[in-house]
Amino acid sequence: MSKLTIGFIINGQKKTIETTTSTRLLDLIRDDLHLTGTKEGCGKGECGACTVIMNGELVASCLILATQSDGAVITTIEGIGDNECLDPVQEAFIETGAVQCGFCTPGMILAAKKMLEENPHPDEEEIKRGISGNLCRCTGYQKIIDAIKLAANRLSSKNGGRSEKDD
Amino acid sequence: MKKQGRGIATIMFGFGYGEGFPDHAIASAEIEEGGKILIRTAAADVGQGVLTIITQIAAEVLKVKPEAIRIIPGDTHLTKNSGSSSATRQTFFTGNAVKEASEGLLSNIYHYASIEFRSNHVELGIKDGYIFRNDNPKNKLSYWELAERVKERGDSLKAEASFFPRTDIPDPKTGQGKKVYVAYTFVTQVIEVEVDTDTGIVEVLNVYTAADIGKAINPKNVEGQIEGGTVQGIGMALMEEQVIKEGITLNPDLTSYLIPTSMDTPHFATLLVENEDSEGPFGAKGIGEPATIATTPAIANAIYDAIGVRIYHLPITPEKILKALKEENKRGNKEGF
Repeated sequence: MSKLTIGFIINGQKKTIETTTSTRLLDLIRDDLHLTGTKEGCGKGECGACTVIMNGELVASCLILATQSDGAVITTIEGIGDNECLDPVQEAFIETGAVQCGFCTPGMILAAKKMLEENPHPDEEEIKRGISGNLCRCTGYQKIIDAIKLAANRLSSKNGGRSEKDD
Repeated sequence: MKKQGRGIATIMFGFGYGEGFPDHAIASAEIEEGGKILIRTAAADVGQGVLTIITQIAAEVLKVKPEAIRIIPGDTHLTKNSGSSSATRQTFFTGNAVKEASEGLLSNIYHYASIEFRSNHVELGIKDGYIFRNDNPKNKLSYWELAERVKERGDSLKAEASFFPRTDIPDPKTGQGKKVYVAYTFVTQVIEVEVDTDTGIVEVLNVYTAADIGKAINPKNVEGQIEGGTVQGIGMALMEEQVIKEGITLNPDLTSYLIPTSMDTPHFATLLVENEDSEGPFGAKGIGEPATIATTPAIANAIYDAIGVRIYHLPITPEKILKALKEENKRGNKEGF
């Protein structure tokens, strides 16, 4: 197994790290960088638990080789917010009760963030489609959909866009 | 052609282990330094929200804000048995143990405060973590100041409680018993579906749920359990099927064993019936498993209502619907319709 050194920007920080050609990006993130917010569900790109944003695209980090991230810009759940300063999407998830066991939540929040960037005023069907690659076994998705609606309303009124009631 | 139908199902669910098993939970409550009240319980929160529930219960009994409650959960070194997070039992069992431990702590607060204030407990008032004589509310002691005084007396402000209800082993001949389970949760669901008779695909449109849960200690949490359970029921009704051949699972992944995605989520309307009619904390009953049971029969009934053909084997896949419609059609033709 040959080792090589790669560099990328993760959550705004430049990193240079030694890895192997068979290491998955998911393992690099969790085991080498100790960013354990990213979860491994199925390990074959079906469930969305390992979702991260790489070069502006949602990717399943279990399907990406670490070496493919050389030179990339990556955002994990740790780059979205922290306990002191939560992202509006995270706040909305807490308020609406969108988190039960929490295993799908990091990937779900990244998918929601990405969707709201592209479409700040999604309707219910668009929200459902936007998170359809992320499986949740606990919530039945309704409270997650409610959370994304709430976040969308808050973000759009904060950004001076279309203002809607938060309900 | 798209055909709509409506189905109904009602279930009852006896929760806890019941049937004479020694099912119980232990919890403790104590005043700890730093302005917190410590609750110890081994109850495992796997997402159902038991730690939220017991925080609310302890705060309610001890008349403090939920922020004042700290929990040590599930540590074999520091907590005693609270039983498993299964059988829809944690709100009822550990909820009761925490409620009784909190009441025990509150009793001790009254006891020692009546010594400090040279008064009788009925003349004492409690508000926001302070205890005082009603005739002089300005002269008050916080729980934590009181705990210091109690410590000087060589005692401490804490209480432990267990909830250990008796249930009966059902008669093996008749299956009957006086109290086989601690209580029963009832759920009725009305479900509306749309069946595409060309593709056999069923879409669940609306789910109306009435759940008799005694008391919703956290209504949002109860709704979350119902919605999650219902969508699992949709999976059971329409898509989830483990294929086993000679002991080997042939579909051990999520592209061949389908579970519902956000695209399968119906519209929900939920009514919580709160009669406070159980021996649970504040009359509460469990909702974890009951939430999922009515969904599948209600969907099967709705499909029958939509297409007039009853399907007896789960999951009710598009293939089964098309086959059943075809057979029905053949029968109809033979009979000259």
